[in-house]
Amino acid sequence: MRESKLVNWIIFVFLLFFTLATIYPVINVFTVSLRPGDKLLSTSLEIIPEGATFQSYIKLFTETDFLRWLFNSTFISFVVTLTGVSLASTAGYALSRFKFIGKKSAMLGLMVTQMFPATMLLLPMYIMLMKLGLLNSYIGIVIVYSSTALPFCVWQMKGYYDTIPFSLEEAARIDGCTRWQAFYKIILPLASPALVITALFSFMSAWSEYIVAAQILQDRNLYTLPIGLKSFQSNLTTEWGLYAAASLIVSIPVVILFIILSRYLVSGLTLGSVKE
Amino acid sequence: MKKLISKILFQTNLIILISLILISCSKPPTNEIQITIWHQMRVDEREILQRQLDRFMKLHPRIKVNQIYKETEELRSGFIIAAIGGQGPEIIYGPQDQVGPFEIMNIILPLDTIFSQEFLNQFNEKGLIWSNNHLWMIADKLGNHLALVYNKKLIKNPPKTDKELIEIGKQLTKDFNNDGKPDQYGLVWNYTEPFFFIPFLTGFGGWVFDEKNNPTLNTEAMIKGLKFIADLRDKHKIIPGEADYDIADVLFKEGKAGMIINGDWSWASYGKAGIDYGIAPLPLIEETGLYAAPMISGKGYSINANIDPEKLPAVKLLLEFLLSPENQLETAKELNTFPTHKSVYDDPFIKENEILINSQRQIELGKPMPIISEMRAVWDAMRPYYQAVLGGAMNPEIAAQKMQDEAVKKIQEMTEDVTSIYAELIFIIAFVVGIILVLILSRRTILSFVKEFSKNSFAYYLVLPAFVVMILVIIYPFIYNIVLSFSNMNLRHINDWSIIGLNQYIKVFSEPVFYTVFLKTIIWTFVNVFFHVTIGVCLALLLNRKIPGKIVFRTLLILPWAIPQYIVALTWRGMFNYEYGAINLILTKYLSLPPVEWLKSPLEAFIAVIITNVWLGFPFMMVIALGALQSIPNELYEAADIEGAKWFHKLWKITIPLIKPVMIPAITLGIIWTFNNLNVVWLVSNAGEPSDQTHILVSYVYKAAFNLYRYGYAAAFSMVIFFILLVMSLSFLKRTRATESVY
Repeated sequence: MRESKLVNWIIFVFLLFFTLATIYPVINVFTVSLRPGDKLLSTSLEIIPEGATFQSYIKLFTETDFLRWLFNSTFISFVVTLTGVSLASTAGYALSRFKFIGKKSAMLGLMVTQMFPATMLLLPMYIMLMKLGLLNSYIGIVIVYSSTALPFCVWQMKGYYDTIPFSLEEAARIDGCTRWQAFYKIILPLASPALVITALFSFMSAWSEYIVAAQILQDRNLYTLPIGLKSFQSNLTTEWGLYAAASLIVSIPVVILFIILSRYLVSGLTLGSVKE
Repeated sequence: MKKLISKILFQTNLIILISLILISCSKPPTNEIQITIWHQMRVDEREILQRQLDRFMKLHPRIKVNQIYKETEELRSGFIIAAIGGQGPEIIYGPQDQVGPFEIMNIILPLDTIFSQEFLNQFNEKGLIWSNNHLWMIADKLGNHLALVYNKKLIKNPPKTDKELIEIGKQLTKDFNNDGKPDQYGLVWNYTEPFFFIPFLTGFGGWVFDEKNNPTLNTEAMIKGLKFIADLRDKHKIIPGEADYDIADVLFKEGKAGMIINGDWSWASYGKAGIDYGIAPLPLIEETGLYAAPMISGKGYSINANIDPEKLPAVKLLLEFLLSPENQLETAKELNTFPTHKSVYDDPFIKENEILINSQRQIELGKPMPIISEMRAVWDAMRPYYQAVLGGAMNPEIAAQKMQDEAVKKIQEMTEDVTSIYAELIFIIAFVVGIILVLILSRRTILSFVKEFSKNSFAYYLVLPAFVVMILVIIYPFIYNIVLSFSNMNLRHINDWSIIGLNQYIKVFSEPVFYTVFLKTIIWTFVNVFFHVTIGVCLALLLNRKIPGKIVFRTLLILPWAIPQYIVALTWRGMFNYEYGAINLILTKYLSLPPVEWLKSPLEAFIAVIITNVWLGFPFMMVIALGALQSIPNELYEAADIEGAKWFHKLWKITIPLIKPVMIPAITLGIIWTFNNLNVVWLVSNAGEPSDQTHILVSYVYKAAFNLYRYGYAAAFSMVIFFILLVMSLSFLKRTRATESVY
């Protein structure tokens, strides 16, 4: 027992150093956000720069449309997350549990969609959305985002369902559950770590996407965070203070979401009670 | 939890539908005339534009003008895409060189048919961008030019000749703390970029094109110019060993450089940073008696060729308003930019402002930037060899020769015009035959699929929604791309492209660079994914123990994933700087190792990009591994403990096999994403620096094809990337058997 405590402390020290090294670039961004005069770099390594000021943060909320972008992005990301989680959890289940024709090609088909360089798909995607009348609308963007997030989500869910024994559903069916009930009452809760990953991933893919959004959304009222942030930046002159401040604030919702969801990620229902 | 999930599942679609319908319902009323302007203005310019637009809309309440900012490159590619689709903004504002491609593609209107000669006569000739006997753009600002900016605290009289420049530079380059490294430089500028090199080319009597628009890079002037810059650094030692835009900018802003060569866009920011600065024309080169002349370019308005004719009068009204002397003067007063309306030139402000006077002198000495689209090929040809000279990897004579050859080759590729009469027919026949063959070969599967559908309907219903969404979005772009890859779509055939057969594919494979870049991409992919997965899984294993403060660690460690990539990638670039970057400071100060030239040599630059990407990518794998670990029943470990298994046995026999089903999809997709990761390479290596040596396939195709408007070639290249990935992931999946169930 004592040995394991010692090991834990060694791990603790290691993690401490590793984490510090990891967040160093993020601290750098924080420094930029406090630095006056829009300088991305500096010749000194101070964390609190000379003449540090919160001006960028104040400006961000009072002089830019940041709150609107935040709202738009949050809305889009949540819709994409809901779509991603609901579609992937069902599709993944079928792919894990049933043998049916076209299953293998379906799974490969999903993966194939990820293999094309995104910049090349922009032109046809634009033309397609234009023909469907979905330019400048959230429907278009939500569909595009869901479709880019789905392949990973489906595969991920399928992989996790694979680790849950069949015997659980059999038991449930014997107890009088329908197939659907066996799925959402027994299996789905057990797969909550995978649901969390799926949710986080869908959220992030919508939260940080820029290229498609910039081509499709041409109304400043519809702007998402990445497009908004990009407007602080222009050829060779960027408002680094604002950009850095906004970047940090943009990452906060993701962190909060992670903190909320990580309850299910790491201490969810485990399979410990399953006796084969 | 159970109830919650089932509720969510049932109601999601309903919520999505309702909310989307609600949003799409709010359409604007129709009696207004909507005009959109796309521009690439800086923030301060944008604010003035908005003010002027507000005044305009007050004068003309029926016209609503919407201004949208886009970064220069995106403005161009975005406008082309929108114009191909027959859409886009009514007005587009940008630097004069965008006229070149737009004119050839026929996506902007000739303005001489819209505005009267009388109106046009009011403008400085340099502000009217003519080409092939038509006017395509009217500029409202002249300049975008480099000049010598000096710190008045350090320099009383700015240098007039190159000799004086070197002399003053030597006086100002000082090592205050005697550590062998200068703490103050005489001169800094972004000397890695060819645009910033042009003044030295012209100063020695050279130029980029001859009268017939053939590139003229292999000249005596080029060689002398290259030597001059190398000498400034290595012989006279008045410029830093490594300087990109941001480093040069910061050194000057911090008062650590006496002079900087930078464009009119930057000057105001030096005042804001508290530097008392002056502007002087770039020096005279004594050897030739010529001034170092920068490129000058107007920035102005063009009209979309797809414009609704009914809107034209309103657009004309708006442009006349924006180009008026009052508005130009307002902009000039606030931004120190140089106007184009001749009547403004007599204004006392223009005549007496010290910065504008010097700016005007520099403009008069400058040479107009060529608007032909071949200019872009010349930039791309110059950049790698120019950087190679500065990196010490090539001598100026060879570099000049290579630049010329490369420019000729790129221009030829860019403007090539291949057509074929039969290819289209053959293509259609092949396509139809292909589909029929597929149908015949798979008829059994299809038949049994129909039979099975009713038997296994539950499974199909579960899968169907996800696939409908996927197919909706992917199929059309995918087929479009396949067709394009057999076509000749490029600068000259943007709307009238036709099928030419396998030409583009042959070109992809006959390019020797393809194979080296391919090899680099493979290394890039596997090194990255290996570290992502190893670091991710190790951290997950550690965080799965009872460690004090593990929630804090867990949360902090996902930050690289959560924060926007753009800024951290550039922060990393800063950390890799030779002199001021944190990484070299740690290496030299704490580990007593020699500093590494991260961004100057190809191998180190590649490693730098990989380090950045590993940092960006491991949190994602960590999160997935954390989830995967929860699927392992505790009993297995307990049983193993009873049998006295060592930790690595448990790891090898229990943990790894059981997290495999969850990790495999993530790894496969990780490989695909890393393979196609354009952003990180682009940002950290600044588009492939040094000398285009840090490219992976996607960044290469972006630079060599997409940027030069070779869309057919780019599509073929993407198809090749696609097939490489297909083969790679299929063999990986086959080995790991991920498509089959475990139980």
